[in-house]
Amino acid sequence: MSETLILGASFLCGTPARSFTPEDFSSDEKMMIDTAEQFCRAEIMPHLEAIDHQEEGLMPKLIAKAGELGLCGIDSPEAYGGLGLGKNLAARILEFMSLNGSMSVTYGITSGISQVGLSLFGSDEQKAKFLPALTSGESIGAYALSEPNSGSDALSATTTAVQKGDKWVLNGTKMWISNAKWADQFLVMAKINGTDFSAFIVPRDTPGLTIAREEHKMGLKGSSTARIVLEDAEIPLDNLLYEAGKGHHVAFNALNIGRFKLSSMSIGPARNAIELAAGYSRDRKQFGKSLSEFGLIQKKLGQMAALFFVAESMIYRTGALIDEAFDLYGGTIDGNRKAAEEYAIECSACKVFSTEAEALIIDDALQIYGGYGFTEEFPIARHYRDARVSKIYEGTNEINRIFLADRFQRKLKAGSLSPLQADSWIADLAIKALHMQLDGQIQVGAASDLILLAYAEQSSRLRAAKLGDEGQALHNAAVPYLHLKAAEAWQLLTDEPLTLPKVEKVDYEALANMVHHNNGPVRFN
Amino acid sequence: MIRLTDRQSLDATWQPGKLVDTFMKVLVPIKRVVDPYAKVRPLADGSGVDTTGAKFEINPFDEIAVEEAVRQKEKGAVTEIVVVSIGTSASEEQLRKALAIGADRAILVETDAVLDSPGVAALLKEVIDAERPQVVLMGKQATDDDNNQAGQMLAAKLGWGQATFAAKVELGANVTVTRETDTGEQTLSLAYPCLITTDLRLNEPRYVALPGIIKARSKPLEKRAPSTVPAAKTRTVNVELPAARPAGRKVGSVEELAAAIKERGAL
Ligand SMILES: Cc1cc2nc3c(=O)[nH]c(=O)nc-3n(C[C@H](O)[C@H](O)[C@H](O)COP(=O)(O)OP(=O)(O)OC[C@H]3O[C@@H](n4cnc5c(N)ncnc54)[C@H](O)[C@@H]3O)c2cc1C
Ligand SMILES: Cc1cc2nc3c(=O)[nH]c(=O)nc-3n(C[C@H](O)[C@H](O)[C@H](O)COP(=O)(O)OP(=O)(O)OC[C@H]3O[C@@H](n4cnc5c(N)ncnc54)[C@H](O)[C@@H]3O)c2cc1C
Repeated sequence: MSETLILGASFLCGTPARSFTPEDFSSDEKMMIDTAEQFCRAEIMPHLEAIDHQEEGLMPKLIAKAGELGLCGIDSPEAYGGLGLGKNLAARILEFMSLNGSMSVTYGITSGISQVGLSLFGSDEQKAKFLPALTSGESIGAYALSEPNSGSDALSATTTAVQKGDKWVLNGTKMWISNAKWADQFLVMAKINGTDFSAFIVPRDTPGLTIAREEHKMGLKGSSTARIVLEDAEIPLDNLLYEAGKGHHVAFNALNIGRFKLSSMSIGPARNAIELAAGYSRDRKQFGKSLSEFGLIQKKLGQMAALFFVAESMIYRTGALIDEAFDLYGGTIDGNRKAAEEYAIECSACKVFSTEAEALIIDDALQIYGGYGFTEEFPIARHYRDARVSKIYEGTNEINRIFLADRFQRKLKAGSLSPLQADSWIADLAIKALHMQLDGQIQVGAASDLILLAYAEQSSRLRAAKLGDEGQALHNAAVPYLHLKAAEAWQLLTDEPLTLPKVEKVDYEALANMVHHNNGPVRFN
Repeated sequence: MIRLTDRQSLDATWQPGKLVDTFMKVLVPIKRVVDPYAKVRPLADGSGVDTTGAKFEINPFDEIAVEEAVRQKEKGAVTEIVVVSIGTSASEEQLRKALAIGADRAILVETDAVLDSPGVAALLKEVIDAERPQVVLMGKQATDDDNNQAGQMLAAKLGWGQATFAAKVELGANVTVTRETDTGEQTLSLAYPCLITTDLRLNEPRYVALPGIIKARSKPLEKRAPSTVPAAKTRTVNVELPAARPAGRKVGSVEELAAAIKERGAL
């Protein structure tokens, strides 16, 4: 571990001295990641139809199987059946468990957001009571924040908790609850006496708790999503997590980590889409040639791999920072809170960039499949439907955009950051934007775009510098896209003319060959 | 389980009273090979294969041998599994994986020499002379060189009985090995000590569980230098890609297919 922490948001204070990349995982960690990948390819991917039809008992069985391999509590404490390993490793494992969206959500929630609140904020007794069944995969967890009339505006929740003798009595409806069908315990946000936002652990068998019918979703059909209704549902007083009125710390810190992890969840399906597009473009012949011989198809493959590279670079750089913060501050509840908050800006940047990269990658993959991509006989349509929600949950991308620039400006005002210093064209624009008087959401959103694009460019550049020619080629292919998005954002801030900087020429044929050689995104071992 | 014999009481690691009356040590040699599913290119000068950036794995047949040893241990038929690799420190990665699957300790015979099969057999014999296992369980071949020799040469050097291409292994009073041959199943009975080489159908290796990987960190991995490095008796002259296959052609009917086969003189 390093002596000094690289502070949150300091990516706009010049180039950092070090930056973790996925290649830096130790050989032990890579072995664990391999296990997840092998498991997902052999146990999940051959069964997508059955999964999408929610075949009775299948998903809980798959989760239990993953649990037997130690995959369900990677970053939860060892004392409660977890492995006590880092969040970055947990995220990389999650990426490879996420080649299919439905599995991704089911596994992601039970191994992630349903445990992190308990791990960070639970008392020893609560952890001992509720964590082991989740870390072992015997039980499945769920996280219940949203309500019919309270989505993005989460604190407007109307579910209530009232103390009656030695019980909390809960009333209200929670909407969109992933894993509802097979969850054994729910982390439920409710307001004590209708005012104090708090977190509660509600076991499935609680009298007064009912699970409504499955939502009829566009995608992620194999994941369960349903309302839960609480009618005078009684739980023991000990099931209040952390403190009365402090549920927002539980909910939002779980969400910070959740956003970071959602980034991994969104590039998992993107990885599979690139693999599929690589194979299809080689096999499909038109005009007497493989599609992969056509320049415009090569450009797509290259662009997909480049976006993937950037997202990967941001995510695992961020995860390593989070781990460092937990090493430094973690252990106590206040320390855990501080660690989970430190990189909230980076977490939001990863969430927005990765989910939008996922959508672009899958759209291009579908385009490469031509008419066949538009049918359910081929695997891309499922990815296309599944991926759409990534930009909506764990904080919509709009909410994350509002948060990003606002949070950054607050950090600047607090004076906790070193002087800002641009190390790229985009960073320069971002810093200028941060010093502007931003007028309304559209400008805040534009400033956020510049911030997150600066983080993306820097993460990709630092990784490419470590990797030699192939990494550099991927970075160079991403830069024109990042510049264009930055220019678009800039034009929402000022009417000054803007000249795009000179870029390296991109050899898309070489990039497409790299994608074919790797049968997917380029891997650096 | 077998009774202790004189041979086992000679074993350096065995201590009276430690294991009451049974002791069964299995030694599994493993090789670090390029991921058999990765596409590799020959080096420009044809001297070998370009492994820059490649991923390395335990040779799949060796992984089957490790898996078999671990299953036998889980059944109670084996008391200790020692895995051995010959190579540079890079091979520690594969040894750690074998430990994570369930081997008890590992030995790395450290050398960067290019060895042929007789050389591998000679260096393994050195380890076996010191370790005195009852059974050596190893892959029938490595997916990089595809030689299918080291096991047989090693058995000959040791003067042990051998059963190659094992599809089923039972360790009892004797060793019973079933082999799948072109004409059916053949069952062999061998006396201890003996050497077994594994075929693909012996078992399906498990996923490496994460707690096992953590446990493996604290299992012993000992490095030894070979007493001498045997000079290679064979050397690779050239490595090249197979000639590209001519493009296929789609046929519309069985008749057309038959005609096409006849045309090529294949029927
Ligand atoms: C498949 C699925 C699974 C889910 N799983 C869970 C779960 O397990 N647990 C859980 O608690 N929730 C879950 N959710 C709910 C999810 O978190 C919400 O859908 C999300 O927070 C958005 O809330 P909403 O749907 O009510 O949309 P709204 O909040 O109504 O938003 C609608 C649109 O308005 C925009 N918008 C809203 N407020 C603003 C603003 N202030 N400024 C600008 N734009 C704004 C949004 O960005 C969005 O584009 C899930 C949702 C889905 C679809
Ligand atoms: C819902 C639906 C309705 C349809 N209805 C009709 C209909 O009524 N009548 C009818 O005749 N057809 C119909 N089609 C077929 C449609 O016109 C074809 O799907 C379309 O022409 C693309 O052909 P393809 O699907 O074979 O894709 P392909 O030709 O295999 O193309 C796959 C990808 O490769 C690209 N590509 C192909 N060749 C080149 C090249 N030389 N250079 C660069 N890129 C290339 C394509 O742009 C595409 O991205 C329909 C298709 C759908 C999905």
